Amino acid sequence: MSLGNYLEAGLNRALSRFKIALYLWLIISVVALIAITPIGSLVRSNLGHLTLSQDLSMPFELNIVEVLISNQNIFAPYTVFLIAIVLISMLLFIFLKGGLFGRMLNQDNRINISNFLADGSRYFWKFLLSLIIFLPFLFIFFLLFRLLAAPLEAWSDGAVTEWPVIISANLKLLLFVLLLAAFKLLLDLVRIIIVTESKKVWPAYCLAIKFLSRHFFSFWGLYLLLGLVVALICLGWLLVGQQISSNHLAGILISIILAQAFLMFRLLARQLFIGVEFSYYSKRKDKV
Amino acid sequence: MDGRIVLKKKPDTLKAVLLMFWFICLVFLKSWAGQAEDKPLRYDLEVELLPEVRMIQARGTIVWSNLSQDYVPDIQLHLYWNAFKNELSTMAKEARRETMYKRYQVRKDDWGYLKITSLTTVDGYDLMPTAAFISPDEPPNPDDQTVLKVDLPEPLAPGQSIILKLQFQAKVPQNGIRVGCYKDGFFISQWFPKPGVYEEGKGWNCHQYHLNSEFFADFADFKVRITVPQNLVVGACGEEIERIDDPVTGKTTYTFEQQDIHDFAWTASPRFIKIERWFRAEDQVSPEEYQTIAELLELTPEEIKLPDVRMILLIEKQHQHQAERHFKALMAAIKYYGLWYGPYPYRTITMVDPPFRTGSGGMEYPTLFTAGTSVILDKKVLSPEQVIVHEFGHNYWYGLVANNEFEEAWLDEGINTYSTAKVLEAAYGPSCLPVRFNGLPLNWLLKTPAIYDWQLGRLISGPVAKLDPIVKESWKFYNSVSYSLNVYYRAATCLQTLERYLGEKSWAKIMRTYHMRYRFKHPTIEDFIQVVKEVSAKDLNWFFKEFFFKAKDFDYAIGAVETRIKPEKFLGIFDDLPTKHSPQTKTNQDETTEKAGEKIYQTSVTLRRYGQARLGPEVTIKLKVEFEDGSLEWREWDGQSRWVRFNFEKPVKMRQAVLDPEAIWLVDTNLSNNYYALKGSREKISGLTGDFLWLMQSLLLSVFNLL
Ligand SMILES: [Zn+2]
Repeated sequence: MSLGNYLEAGLNRALSRFKIALYLWLIISVVALIAITPIGSLVRSNLGHLTLSQDLSMPFELNIVEVLISNQNIFAPYTVFLIAIVLISMLLFIFLKGGLFGRMLNQDNRINISNFLADGSRYFWKFLLSLIIFLPFLFIFFLLFRLLAAPLEAWSDGAVTEWPVIISANLKLLLFVLLLAAFKLLLDLVRIIIVTESKKVWPAYCLAIKFLSRHFFSFWGLYLLLGLVVALICLGWLLVGQQISSNHLAGILISIILAQAFLMFRLLARQLFIGVEFSYYSKRKDKV
Repeated sequence: MDGRIVLKKKPDTLKAVLLMFWFICLVFLKSWAGQAEDKPLRYDLEVELLPEVRMIQARGTIVWSNLSQDYVPDIQLHLYWNAFKNELSTMAKEARRETMYKRYQVRKDDWGYLKITSLTTVDGYDLMPTAAFISPDEPPNPDDQTVLKVDLPEPLAPGQSIILKLQFQAKVPQNGIRVGCYKDGFFISQWFPKPGVYEEGKGWNCHQYHLNSEFFADFADFKVRITVPQNLVVGACGEEIERIDDPVTGKTTYTFEQQDIHDFAWTASPRFIKIERWFRAEDQVSPEEYQTIAELLELTPEEIKLPDVRMILLIEKQHQHQAERHFKALMAAIKYYGLWYGPYPYRTITMVDPPFRTGSGGMEYPTLFTAGTSVILDKKVLSPEQVIVHEFGHNYWYGLVANNEFEEAWLDEGINTYSTAKVLEAAYGPSCLPVRFNGLPLNWLLKTPAIYDWQLGRLISGPVAKLDPIVKESWKFYNSVSYSLNVYYRAATCLQTLERYLGEKSWAKIMRTYHMRYRFKHPTIEDFIQVVKEVSAKDLNWFFKEFFFKAKDFDYAIGAVETRIKPEKFLGIFDDLPTKHSPQTKTNQDETTEKAGEKIYQTSVTLRRYGQARLGPEVTIKLKVEFEDGSLEWREWDGQSRWVRFNFEKPVKMRQAVLDPEAIWLVDTNLSNNYYALKGSREKISGLTGDFLWLMQSLLLSVFNLL
């Protein structure tokens, strides 16, 4: 099976199940709205009485900074609030991941909120355990990263111009992303196996590692290729977003819509990853 | 010339012998002293750089003249590099206390020091036995070695001078502040024993090296011979007058000279490219510009004519492609500082792109300054321009008008930050805030608003207004952040405010008068206040008291606005008992333009004073209220009480109220609360909420993807 086939299969699977992205978007948006409420009301109460026509002595962006500076005392409690929200959402997200993988890999593409949530609760504990077992792998990832980054660091430490510093910093970033992708692949694969083969977590890990030991490089390459395409689209999206003026209502509305569409795109891209990984795995697993 | 007595009379033998004896004693005792020169200091130094061991070896003479009416018993010398000698120096101790921002961190094996190996009078009288380190500033630190006190054989009389012969060696601190080296690139400043400033009646002004302080020294003539390995390119204060290559040793000796400067720094690196250009006043300033500024200053164009200046750029090879940007910024600075404050009086200016990793960027020395740049730049961001203009500007505020940076740092940093913003505004207009990641500029991806330097300055300095006053000894500030924000940005914001309050013309004259009057002198804030008062013919003592000497914040605001329809009927018992209230005595704050049968809106605008600082006598803050029919109402408030309420009755609703609509009081720490529109713009707030939401969603989505 060629690269195009995997992509096509993954894309079909993702698009036919686009409702999942919608659910996820909705839930994430609700959490985000709760998280920004304090800061939003602060800004509204302080800047709600400014108008665009006024000749302000500063650009509006600086007024925002001014309001934040003069209300510095809210930062500490707000940070605590944010951390709490993120921690709670982490549990919620593991639940949602269950829904995402469950619905993505289900044979039929009938998707509604109840079977999405049912999958969430079905896989919650297994996914949580898979994450915990992943921690030692994360440790190995950091170790490996430090090891591979060491020559880059030495190169930059001995530099006499800025170039080695800039190049090595960005190579390190690239290295980080590549390595993380490789490890992330493992976790995705484990979850695919958990869902599609109704395996327990340990056997799923064993199976995944066995599969990766055979097909790691082509699987990783596929993942990276997909990642590159998504990253390029993201970049284009951001660049287009920059061109829209936020000085009139239409521009602001378009910006908001574009920003939300961008999030939907990221969610669909996540689905696409799972779809492509699944089609690759299901085609190759018999060859283990 | 020296001060020995010449005898003309022929004495008899005994008398002659006695006189001879007395004379010899006198000569013996006093031969180290001479008649004072017209300047307090003259240096003649030879220094050699030994890069492999990061040492400098130096010797020479320092002539110090007692221009005061005091008998001076000692000399006090700054040995600044001893601040980097160990963990017990005052500077290192102060650095350890900083929690918000670490300017200096001791690093093992990076120590530097300055050691005098010999110090004698010109006739060989050894001064070292009486030499002792002192720490004049509170709290005393017996471990600090940055000030050396040396007793003279006897007090130096008024009008006398002393020639000190000295030898010293110094280790270049690798991790110092404003000085440093990395591989074979060196930036060498504060490297020689430098006498403090002798103040008549008060003694030596010679502070320790502090973390949050710069320097203070007397004007001097310098002649410095610098010997380095031939492969190093050298730059220094003043003019290069000689270069001798020694093929035998493989070393080169450069001689630099400059009169009337109060410090001397130099740099050497094999990676410098040296580029020279001329600032040709004729090409840079048009006759119209001369005319406009001359009119502003009430001078003739002839009186403000600028001289040509030789510009020397030492730029790292890696930044060579940015030479034009460097020169363009420098020329703008020479032009505007020259036109506004007075012509640049020296023949050269050396601009140094500091050697890589020497921690010496963004620093000023007379006739030489360091900038600093990155290999990849963004066109919309004014870096390195901002730092070039600022550091060149220090030639005016620090170099020429040489206030005490230890005690009143705002006089150079604050005035210069104010001036920098003005030059950048005139030469470049607003610029974008930088967004960088991993050495790469990202402004093409993430737009930042175009702003003026002063807008950012007033914004960030607001929070420290209540922490420290602007005028305070540098090392006594709450921390480095409070020091820099108060001394640089809050002071600059106060000056911006004064400029707007007094008007452009009056202010321009104040600044020029202050600069020209105190060139080659050491003014204090009292001198500045005096010039402001004299030129503006206004007593602004209150302004300096509130904003410079006290830690108070200034925040006037529109606290509340209420609008309601005036009832057509009032309930209650109304009888026709006569009242003495005539229509004229209606409170003058109420405004009624009532027509029969019309709806009348009652609008009240409450102004608040949230800050502790108050407006001075005879000063008011204006309120502009605009109504829906376009009519305007103006009110003035003396701002003394905590609040005031203005009432209006009109057949239309209010559209908006603006406090200080002419934007004079930029020193106000919160300008956002100076505006109140009955119908605020939903768009901006919605856009902003949209941005916040998107950021938060993106963050959560990333967390989701990682789990
Ligand atoms: Zn400065």
